[in-house]
Amino acid sequence: MTAQPIVSSTPVPQARRASRLSRWSLSMRIGAALLMVYAGIAVLSFFWTPHDPYMPGAGPSYAAPSWAFPLGTDRLGNDLLSQIMIGTRYDLGICVAAVFISVVLGAVLGTIAGYYGGAADLVIMRIVEIFQAFPGLLFAMLIVQAVGAGVPNVIAVLAFVGTPDFLRLARAEVRSRRDWQFAEAARLVGNRGIVVAFKHLLPNSMGPLLAFTSVNAAFAVLIIASLGFLGIGLDADTPEWGNMIARGQDGIMTGQWWVSLFPGIAILGMTGAFYLLGDALSDLFDPRRRT
Amino acid sequence: MNGPILEIDGFSGGFVSRAGEFTPVLHDVSYSLERGAVTAVVGETGSGKSVTALSVLQLQAPGFRRTGGQIRFDGTDLLSLDAQALRAIRGRRISMVFQDARAALNPVFSVGQQLADTWRLHNGGSRAAAMEKAVDALRQVQIPEPERRARQYPHEFSGGMAQRAMIALAALICTPELLLLDEPTTGLDVTTQADIMELLLDLARSRGLTVCLITHDLGVVAETCDHVVVMNRGRVVETGSAERIFTAPQDPYTRRLLAASVLTEDAG
Repeated sequence: MTAQPIVSSTPVPQARRASRLSRWSLSMRIGAALLMVYAGIAVLSFFWTPHDPYMPGAGPSYAAPSWAFPLGTDRLGNDLLSQIMIGTRYDLGICVAAVFISVVLGAVLGTIAGYYGGAADLVIMRIVEIFQAFPGLLFAMLIVQAVGAGVPNVIAVLAFVGTPDFLRLARAEVRSRRDWQFAEAARLVGNRGIVVAFKHLLPNSMGPLLAFTSVNAAFAVLIIASLGFLGIGLDADTPEWGNMIARGQDGIMTGQWWVSLFPGIAILGMTGAFYLLGDALSDLFDPRRRT
Repeated sequence: MNGPILEIDGFSGGFVSRAGEFTPVLHDVSYSLERGAVTAVVGETGSGKSVTALSVLQLQAPGFRRTGGQIRFDGTDLLSLDAQALRAIRGRRISMVFQDARAALNPVFSVGQQLADTWRLHNGGSRAAAMEKAVDALRQVQIPEPERRARQYPHEFSGGMAQRAMIALAALICTPELLLLDEPTTGLDVTTQADIMELLLDLARSRGLTVCLITHDLGVVAETCDHVVVMNRGRVVETGSAERIFTAPQDPYTRRLLAASVLTEDAG
């Protein structure tokens, strides 16, 4: 091994770029790559699928995986590969939309609660506590039952269920820096409180929020699939993965394992990718590792 | 436009503990700052010099409660202002340099951006024009390569450079009449301290700023200040011109403070 020079003479911007890339850990690379593949499949499904996913009888009923039907067909003869490709749109799309709304809502309300404290904090946090008293999935099921099925409704419900976690996180982060000197300095040059909160404090909290986004997304995928599996939320013939597992249940006992297995693997892969990415991101933004 | 720019009159207060107990720390503090003069507020740690000065900008330590007195800036009582009137004074008419400049700069924005944002807050104008002002201000505080430095983040600045940037922000981007310096050179090495003080005084003198220097470094005070306020245990024990305080201290505490510093031996 040749000795590495301890002091680098590289100009500052280059040195920073290099250190950033080297901080991409293995789990981050795997997670990010898997998600890129899923996103690619979702986009591809708009233009091309091996068979028409919505046409029953594209193949024989319960055909085992073969060259013509790589993942087999279900009871009605739908091509499973085509359906799983379409399903990526639902699971990834709903998840991303819902998490995005959760982050924005949670960050805004959490920043207000954390910065102003007092009555605003009290009201916001008590409401959050009421909602958090219910388990996420149960709560999602109840609301979906109440507001009815459909993609926008499922997105809204998931966003609603996810918001409290982001809110608590943003509140804690903002609150912990509210009295730091740079916040005081920002107030001292004449900035309004709201500007200090959103422009100076919130950006300092983005690291932990982003890391948690990924973990939350994994959770969201599981809820979407669970709702699909239970047959609430989306129409029963939607090629959503949880839905597909439910439809394949009949086949498991009679030997048609592939109908439920492949959508299951798709769910496993996506949640795993989000968890890997989230884990790597939270390491990256760990304040104890900050220099 | 005559008379002192800032008058602290009978200012008293203390800290309320979590249990609700009140501990008085400031007792009837009164002093005033003459326009265009450099006044030092000296005293040991815990003498109440910082708490008093922070109260000028309504920036009080958590738990501090005022029990009496007034702080008048140019004739208006600062303690009775509402949030909006206070914002019109903060940064525009009074600004402040902190002890630890790197903690006072926001870690996620480049230094130039923070200066430019503050410029736009006070003066409006385009981003590009504000950034030009920021670079210009960094150049005036003798930061080398100001264009490149403006794009860097606070953690890339040394303590001395960060303090220069902070001075650019407080004295040049903000265009105050009164500049409060809270231990601006503590924590910097000695040669940097001297450079920073020289820079501050140059800027103050050339712009006719009133400066209030809070410090426990009597060496700096002797060289640079016009007036001295000596505080001890929350009381003002002596005020006067720097020359008189150093040559003919009246109060026993002032004498002890001077005796405790090596300065008198050098000067004597």
